[in-house]
Amino acid sequence: MAKKGKREVPAMSTSSLPDIVFMLLFFFMAATTMREVDPLVTAQLPKAHEITELDKKNLVNIWMGKPLVSSSEDKGDALAIQLNDKTQEVGDIQNFIGATTATKGMEPTQIVVNLRVDKDATVGKLTAVKQELRKANALSISYAAMKNE
Amino acid sequence: MARAKKKAGEINSSSMADISFLLLIFFLVTTTMDVDTGMKRTLPPWIDPTEQQNDVDVNERNVLKVNVARNGSIMVGTEVYRANDLNRSAGHSRLSREVYNFLVDADKSNKKDVEIDGAMYPISEGLVSLKADNESKYSVYLQVQDELTYAFNLYRDDISRLVYGVGYNELDDIQQANIRKAVPMKISEAEPNDQTKK
Repeated sequence: MAKKGKREVPAMSTSSLPDIVFMLLFFFMAATTMREVDPLVTAQLPKAHEITELDKKNLVNIWMGKPLVSSSEDKGDALAIQLNDKTQEVGDIQNFIGATTATKGMEPTQIVVNLRVDKDATVGKLTAVKQELRKANALSISYAAMKNE
Repeated sequence: MARAKKKAGEINSSSMADISFLLLIFFLVTTTMDVDTGMKRTLPPWIDPTEQQNDVDVNERNVLKVNVARNGSIMVGTEVYRANDLNRSAGHSRLSREVYNFLVDADKSNKKDVEIDGAMYPISEGLVSLKADNESKYSVYLQVQDELTYAFNLYRDDISRLVYGVGYNELDDIQQANIRKAVPMKISEAEPNDQTKK
């Protein structure tokens, strides 16, 4: 196609670039899981050695941490509990477990409640949550933690 | 290049790469590869406070009491542990070594057995009763839990070597379940029975 007189080193073919990019694209599309809930509290997880990977399928998250600015006006309390996408009180946990298990079609005993608790939280608050979970018969729990290297 | 007849021109696909690049960058940014990790526990079923409680009879000798105080110090049996007793050096912390020794000792005085591959093995009787002050910090509490788990895992490893000749992590799922039966992770997270009655 070229009408050049003398042949130089041909330009590198970039025709396969879209293919490569597409491949990467599909990989990331498949690997992506969109975050379903916006965080309303910041829970800096503690570190631990003896942790296991958790199966996402039957996992229900409860966040406990410092409320982010937007929702902290009337809360003198330094710790908030987030269930799904709103901050709620300890007393709401039983209803939350009931609703979540109903939508998942599981029994409360089949789910694992992942407690994402801020490392500066007090044990008293955690105990109150655990008591509610016991009342709701959600007995499998996990303390979310980061791997300690 | 040298086609005879030129019909409708092909769609210029050179921008395809740009579009897919854009998408790629979007997914790159939004992807979070994190896996949820945590320490699994099973809570005891709820018992109504008005109901008659029939406490399970456990031999005092087989119970190790661990108390986390609000200032971060830890009572193990009758001894006081400090925060640095939870830190590991050479694979063990002072707490995990203590709990491990307790588990080994507690094993001797039991009656129940579990059958693994036709042979009978005693079920470990060691129970750790963990109590924490309501004002104590969660990070300390979890670190204590971590060391307790570690001690139990060490002991499971021992039993695994005794039964199967290899470490716990090299066993298949059924064998691991057998070892878990022989060494149940008995960590009792005591209820708050003090000032704040819920």
